[in-house]
Amino acid sequence: MTTNTTSERFTVPIGPQHPALKEPGAFRFNVDGEIVTSATVRLGYAHRGIEKLAENQNWVQNIYLFERTCGICSHTHATTYCLGVEKLAGVEVSPRVSAIRTLVAELERIHSHLLWLGVSAHEAGFDTLFMFGWRDRETVMDLLEMISGNRVNYSVNILGGVKVDVTPEIVEQILAGVDLLEERTKHYLDVVSTDAGFLQRTRGVGVMTREQAEALGAVGPTARASGVARDLRVDAPYLSYSDFPVQMILDDRGDLEARFVVRLRELFESYRLLRELVTHMPEGELATRMPRRIKAGETVSRLEAPRGDVFYFIQSNGSDKPARVHVRTPTVCNMTSVVKLALGHQLADVPLILAGIDPCFSCNDR
Amino acid sequence: MNTVTTIAALLLFPSGLILLLSGLAFEWADRKLLAQYQNRLGPRWFQPLADVVKLLAKEEVVPEGVNRTLFIALPIAGLAGALTAALYTPLFGLQPAYSFRGDLIVTLYLLSLLTLCMGLAGSNTLDRFSLVGATRTLTQLFSYEAPFMLALLGPAVAAGSWQISEIADYSSAGRYLLLTQPLGFLVAIVGLMGKLELPPFDAPEAETEIVAGARTEYSGRGLALFRLGKGVELVVGLTLVAAFYMGGVANPLLWLVKTLILLLVMVALQALFTRLRIDQTVGLWWRYGALLVLVQWLIMVLVGLL
Amino acid sequence: MKPGTMLKDIARSLVRKPVTERYPFERRPAPDRLRGQLIWNPDPCTGCGLCALDCPADAIEVLVIDKKAKIFEITYHLDRCTFCGQCVESCRQGCLEMQDDQWELAALDRGGFLIMRRKDGAAPAKQDSPPANGDEQAA
Repeated sequence: MTTNTTSERFTVPIGPQHPALKEPGAFRFNVDGEIVTSATVRLGYAHRGIEKLAENQNWVQNIYLFERTCGICSHTHATTYCLGVEKLAGVEVSPRVSAIRTLVAELERIHSHLLWLGVSAHEAGFDTLFMFGWRDRETVMDLLEMISGNRVNYSVNILGGVKVDVTPEIVEQILAGVDLLEERTKHYLDVVSTDAGFLQRTRGVGVMTREQAEALGAVGPTARASGVARDLRVDAPYLSYSDFPVQMILDDRGDLEARFVVRLRELFESYRLLRELVTHMPEGELATRMPRRIKAGETVSRLEAPRGDVFYFIQSNGSDKPARVHVRTPTVCNMTSVVKLALGHQLADVPLILAGIDPCFSCNDR
Repeated sequence: MNTVTTIAALLLFPSGLILLLSGLAFEWADRKLLAQYQNRLGPRWFQPLADVVKLLAKEEVVPEGVNRTLFIALPIAGLAGALTAALYTPLFGLQPAYSFRGDLIVTLYLLSLLTLCMGLAGSNTLDRFSLVGATRTLTQLFSYEAPFMLALLGPAVAAGSWQISEIADYSSAGRYLLLTQPLGFLVAIVGLMGKLELPPFDAPEAETEIVAGARTEYSGRGLALFRLGKGVELVVGLTLVAAFYMGGVANPLLWLVKTLILLLVMVALQALFTRLRIDQTVGLWWRYGALLVLVQWLIMVLVGLL
Repeated sequence: MKPGTMLKDIARSLVRKPVTERYPFERRPAPDRLRGQLIWNPDPCTGCGLCALDCPADAIEVLVIDKKAKIFEITYHLDRCTFCGQCVESCRQGCLEMQDDQWELAALDRGGFLIMRRKDGAAPAKQDSPPANGDEQAA
């Protein structure tokens, strides 16, 4: 058995099984004492062949398949798929359907960012923020359960519409829940930007300049924290975002603190949008008839998931099963920044840098 | 009869079995208080005991390439050090079982023996996580040891003795050194957290970075012994700081109350702060820790001169 | 920069009851829109089989026994079902709905997960698999 000690450097394996990772991914960091000198990553441990499976199931069954690509951004995947297929079939959905889809998407964004807050705090060793953040996340999970009947994999989408409607009682609950969450998020933003111990771990760590972010192709809040103005809800509005616009949250520091601040400030935008949306919900029918065989053609649909932009390429050959669906998720774009940014940092910073991009290996590997 | 009572004292009460069980009880109190601070339920009372029983029933895997004797002996040596240190402290509010002049230094050394054993155990293996953990354990040992020792020597200077029982008696006579030596008290509490590797000083066993640090390769009996050693260290450390600074531990009830109050404060500090990186720990200790305790000593010297 | 920004939170938690739900001693009621076990109303059923076609988990099988007399048999695999609710949407006659009060459907063995019903209420071709948890399995 050989050891990996060449001169004073050795390789620290993080993954595929490691407490820092919630999902498998193999990182190898060469360290010299505590400083990282080189890093590699190997992915694919959560590959389930979803794109190939999609070719053997009909258009309707695939909604549920793609929904299960990821547990945190499940609604995003299902919505992107439905939008693409509806575009191919040339079906226009009613404004109410778009509004309900937007509502659930924003609730998903809230739950995802609060989940990320807790997980990153845990990686930094700040378990109290983790526990309190997840306690408050239960509010949004209860809202999602009330709307759809399920806490994860809400399955509100069907081809051509949604399954659930939003009643005035639900609107009331959403408004109350959003008020509570907003108060708590203000507190967390305060904690994240002023807590001395936490700032020692996040300020100036993992700095990614704007040029680096653009060269590495970063997307989502990771890129916006480095000053790259990329947000699909603003650049290419879909669903109800043209009627209820969102403001892009940018920060030019590019370090871990900026990523925390950007995600938390995005939450405030989501709360504002939710309030406006539920009080001005447009009318319309909940479902439009869709043909079982979709016209031949190709289309691209893109959506802003909580982690960045999700890209679906859907190709139909006129039958009741898709010919090809290709999915490109945001973590793929952000993963190279981890191996680049980790160089020169201490080993203790590496889990935080990894958590800072909000990695979702299931999305990544499909 | 004397030998029998000695053996009973060593094996059962106040050292030995009762000490091990009270170590587990304090570990439970620590976890339960932390949970209460974090608004959650926490483990049931028998959880640490169940953990140890389960570990003792598991197979001990000795990894390839280690020195087998050292691997098996180090947990035993560590636990032995912690148990021996307990013999000189006023545990459970009773007089220490053995006492001699200068036993403060010996006790502190024996407590450090556990940390040293863990550091050695980590360096013994070929596993990267253990090596990094061992380096961090030893680095942390070098950083908090001096301020912590000076903080515990403050009451010794005030009492005019280096014998733990005499210092404890001095404090029991109604002298609350936490009021007259506040900086020393602060350094003692934070130093105790460093010694026990409690958050925010748990870089040596940072779960999300190096799995379990120096103890990564241990399983079964070795891991159980390390856990027991940590529990005993917790009790001994709390007893020492409570006896010195909080007005002595004259009887079991006072001991229980004072150690629990101290634990309450320590767990609050645990819940409040993020884990520090090892270089930040060293910086903190060598800058602020040493500074505070030296200022405290300066004040003591000046007040003594006046 | 302040140290200990979460002091108020932990101080308040020290004196309050924990928020943990002590399941199974405390159980929350199921949400109103829970998608639980599937319930089939045989009367409007025309045996079109769209529910079986659209199920992503192949949990429904429709067996036509007599097309003229409209006798169908539905097999529902409770253990395969993902409770997505697509079958409810696909059915044009509105025969299907999902139960909304029982969500503790786990069991220790596979018995009880295969549910078969005939449209005219007669005994189905194959028996339901016997119920789980203690009863003996038929061969």
